[in-house]
Amino acid sequence: MSVAIETHGLSKRYRKVTALSDCSINVPEGRISALVGPNGAGKTTLLRLLTGLAASTSGEAVVLGRTPRQEPVYLSDIGYLAQEIPLYRRMSAREHIGIGAHLNSQWDGESVRARLDVLNISLDQPVGTLSGGQRAQVALALTLGKRPRLLLLDEPLAALDPLARKLFLGSLAEAAAGGDLTIVLSSHLIADIDQLCDHLILLASAEVQLCGDIETLLAEHRLLVGARKDTTAIARTHTIVREETTVRQTSLLVRVNGPVIDPAWAVEEPNLEELVLGYMSQNYASRGITAGADQLSSIGGLR
Amino acid sequence: MTWVTWRQYRYQGALAAGLLVVVAVVLLIAGFHAASVWHSVSGQCGTGACGGKFGSNISLNGPIVGALAMATSAVPLLPGLLWGAPMVAHELETGTNQFAWTQGVTRRRWLAIKTGWLLLAAALIAGIAAAVVTFWSGPDHALTADAFMANRFDLIDIVPVGYAVFAMALGICAGAVFRRTVPALGVTLAAFVGLRALVAQWLRLHYMSPVTVFYNLQKPFNPAGSYLGVSQGIVRANHKIAPPNFNVPNFDGVAIPKACQAAPDPTPCFAAHGYEGFLKYQPANRFWAFQGIETAIFLVVAIALLGITFWVLNRRDA
Repeated sequence: MSVAIETHGLSKRYRKVTALSDCSINVPEGRISALVGPNGAGKTTLLRLLTGLAASTSGEAVVLGRTPRQEPVYLSDIGYLAQEIPLYRRMSAREHIGIGAHLNSQWDGESVRARLDVLNISLDQPVGTLSGGQRAQVALALTLGKRPRLLLLDEPLAALDPLARKLFLGSLAEAAAGGDLTIVLSSHLIADIDQLCDHLILLASAEVQLCGDIETLLAEHRLLVGARKDTTAIARTHTIVREETTVRQTSLLVRVNGPVIDPAWAVEEPNLEELVLGYMSQNYASRGITAGADQLSSIGGLR
Repeated sequence: MTWVTWRQYRYQGALAAGLLVVVAVVLLIAGFHAASVWHSVSGQCGTGACGGKFGSNISLNGPIVGALAMATSAVPLLPGLLWGAPMVAHELETGTNQFAWTQGVTRRRWLAIKTGWLLLAAALIAGIAAAVVTFWSGPDHALTADAFMANRFDLIDIVPVGYAVFAMALGICAGAVFRRTVPALGVTLAAFVGLRALVAQWLRLHYMSPVTVFYNLQKPFNPAGSYLGVSQGIVRANHKIAPPNFNVPNFDGVAIPKACQAAPDPTPCFAAHGYEGFLKYQPANRFWAFQGIETAIFLVVAIALLGITFWVLNRRDA
């Protein structure tokens, strides 16, 4: 299967801040990738580099066989939905469809109208007067109207209530059903995108922590829970991602290197949320921040 | 892109056109009135020596119409201020550039076409206003020969088009550089007023080296037609220095002969003591050359500003 996104050492520095550092990822075509990480991890920066809205400081990116840049051939293959869902507030969905028709060579306005009709969203109301969920749906429909081969969505769920979130994900799943569309969806709501995504990119502190197929990643990791004890034996064979010790027990997230055979540990495969949380709290710990899982949830926006 | 530009600006454009029509109608009515007075009076007195008959008849500077004509000096600034400054800045503020610049059109093309139409609109608006003011002030300029003077020269013929193109380029550039509408508005206003004042008060006097005439103080010299005065004064006749190194004290700097200090009218006394008057000026036949030069200056500055805008938008992250 061919590659939709491939980056090598992609970095973005602003004057004092490194927003993205040495990012090397690979997303095969047709996958739905969850781009997760705490706020400020570099998710938006990565997406903006991939759209060509921002230029990298170093490193390279190849997206659908091309370098991201200001070229109609490149732009027409990319659908981008920015975090704040920017649309012209005084214009209606119909006017936006018109704009799309005039700015894109392969525009499918009929599909936009059809999507919005199904959702019962007015085409003639200024989009500024629509609800947040409806506006997100309009923006998604417009982005899909471009017939992109790669859809980059930056926190589209963040501002939506649970019902709107469900509807939005439904629209997205439908769009992805054909199998040709590659989607990268940044979010910190793991539980919501768990169902939809089959690929994971985990960023923390401007660096890539994990990138790959979710099934594979989960299979490579184990949660170990046991009575409080020494972990050096485990660390000898496996890589401990995160260690949490209470008075009575120790729980570990481990990247396994072969089976764990010590009967003192209860071993189970983590779910996506546990995996992501494990890596994210490791990152917090390495930065000298000690926080319980509850606090982390609120910091990282995890539920 | 043209369609998009039209969709975004049609209401504002209609409003501007409406206001322009109102101004034009008032000035045209007043202008036709002035022209008819001009023709009937000059028909009665033939050529020359009837200036006195006009004064009260052509009330061109009637307070309201005159003020309206003077107010058109703001017309070239307004499109640049109200449309130019927000053009890029407002998109960046609301984030809609992320929508616009990820469609199948490059940023360069987006900027080029939008800028092109706005420049055209600004030129058209200023051109129409200037044409109407030029028509309205025709009889008055023929009568008082002041078309070359500041506040008249700037309102008529082609210079307002240059100002408008400059203001639009300035607004767009300021919006792209400062990325916020309010600072862009402030910078546009300040830079426009600043450059206009600098040009009108100082630079314009020097587009060509002025003609200098020395004259007998007893026979005051008045150039023909509407001229642009550069400087004027009194000089001791034997201290003449030929232009361009013309550097003489004017009246204030001249040591006044004792005999003349007490004289009720010092002019004959000065003449008797060997002083003469001088006038440096740009003659009336340079009017169109000056219109052309000034328009060109503003157009060149506008092109430079547009160059900066393209460079900034291409180079900076959106």
